[in-house]
Amino acid sequence: MARFQIKPFEPEAVVFDTASGDTHFLAPLTLELFQIVQSNPGLTADEMEAALASRLSLGISPHLSQLTEDALASLRRIGLLEAA
Amino acid sequence: MKLLQLSPSDLRQQLAGEGVWLRTGPFSLRVRSRLPHVAEGLTDLYGQFEVRNSRQAFADFHVELNPPSTLRRWFRPQVDFSFDGTLPFKPLPLDQAYPMLEWGLNWCVSMHAHHYLIIHAAVVEKNGLAAILPAPPGSGKSTLTAGLVLSGWRLLSDELTLIDRKTGLLHALPRPVSLKNQSIDVIRAFDPEAFINRASHDTAKGTVAHMRPPRDSVLRQHEPARPGWVIFPKWEADADTQLTPHSKALTFMFLAQNAFNYSHLGADGFRVGTALIEKTECYDFKYSKLHEAVAAFDRLAASNQTALS
Repeated sequence: MARFQIKPFEPEAVVFDTASGDTHFLAPLTLELFQIVQSNPGLTADEMEAALASRLSLGISPHLSQLTEDALASLRRIGLLEAA
Repeated sequence: MKLLQLSPSDLRQQLAGEGVWLRTGPFSLRVRSRLPHVAEGLTDLYGQFEVRNSRQAFADFHVELNPPSTLRRWFRPQVDFSFDGTLPFKPLPLDQAYPMLEWGLNWCVSMHAHHYLIIHAAVVEKNGLAAILPAPPGSGKSTLTAGLVLSGWRLLSDELTLIDRKTGLLHALPRPVSLKNQSIDVIRAFDPEAFINRASHDTAKGTVAHMRPPRDSVLRQHEPARPGWVIFPKWEADADTQLTPHSKALTFMFLAQNAFNYSHLGADGFRVGTALIEKTECYDFKYSKLHEAVAAFDRLAASNQTALS
């Protein structure tokens, strides 16, 4: 069984972590980033931001960088992403 | 045999002796008590429920309400709730014996019936679809539930949403509706024919009384319902009646946090809960006038019927 069970409710999702037994809400941007991380393990923060920009058809900008940083911090805090 | 067919003296005698066996939704219970408040509450509120000889019938829950066996009972009378011979709660004042029975029965179900995902929410049904009403205390959930079931909606429960883990259907547990403080008078004014039992004062929830469940809801207590909506009611003074969409993901998170056994069920709780949300429409619902609130729910049920026909 996969560690994470994701149920999308567009544009958001909920995820169950079978390792911890915790359930989390993922806001739209965090969900996009989580899906990128899941399908491309080992990306750097910059690569994740580039993938996110591509997925959302956005250009790289300080605002997107900040949003990406915040979303990554949120994923690390709730245990869905291991600390670098 | 229905409880109302027992004479008051037979009921008191059975309660004080072998106990009274009662069927409430999918659960059977055996209640024992020497207290007149308990006999009175059962007579007032459980008349339509099935009873059997408690010596011959299996019961899921064996509960007893009696005074503690200490000297304290002589200067401040109290009542203990016991479950299978254990005391899960501290004693309460004797005047609260009947509400303690209801609270204790809720505890029995929520702590033991793990073949359901159990959410702290009311459920009512009309035209084949059920509305789940989760809400924190003070939101007007019980008042709205009482108003709806007095207006033709079927009561499944005012406190416990039982989601069958195999089928996803909602099972009924149409026990009396708990009313608190101002909502007692609101419901008396809404329907003077509604039977509300003797109030208990100064409980942890304030003044508490229970409304007798509609006869039709009790007769249909073995009929499950399909989930149709999850609606968060909120009573607000002078608010216009308003139904607005609520995020499905956030609705799921609220239900998970307000489930009694979600953590206990692990991944299966997640599966059952998300499957429920997938099938339902989720709304916030503000209201200030109970008649208008009922009319809004009726429109919702009618729109579903139209969609199905």
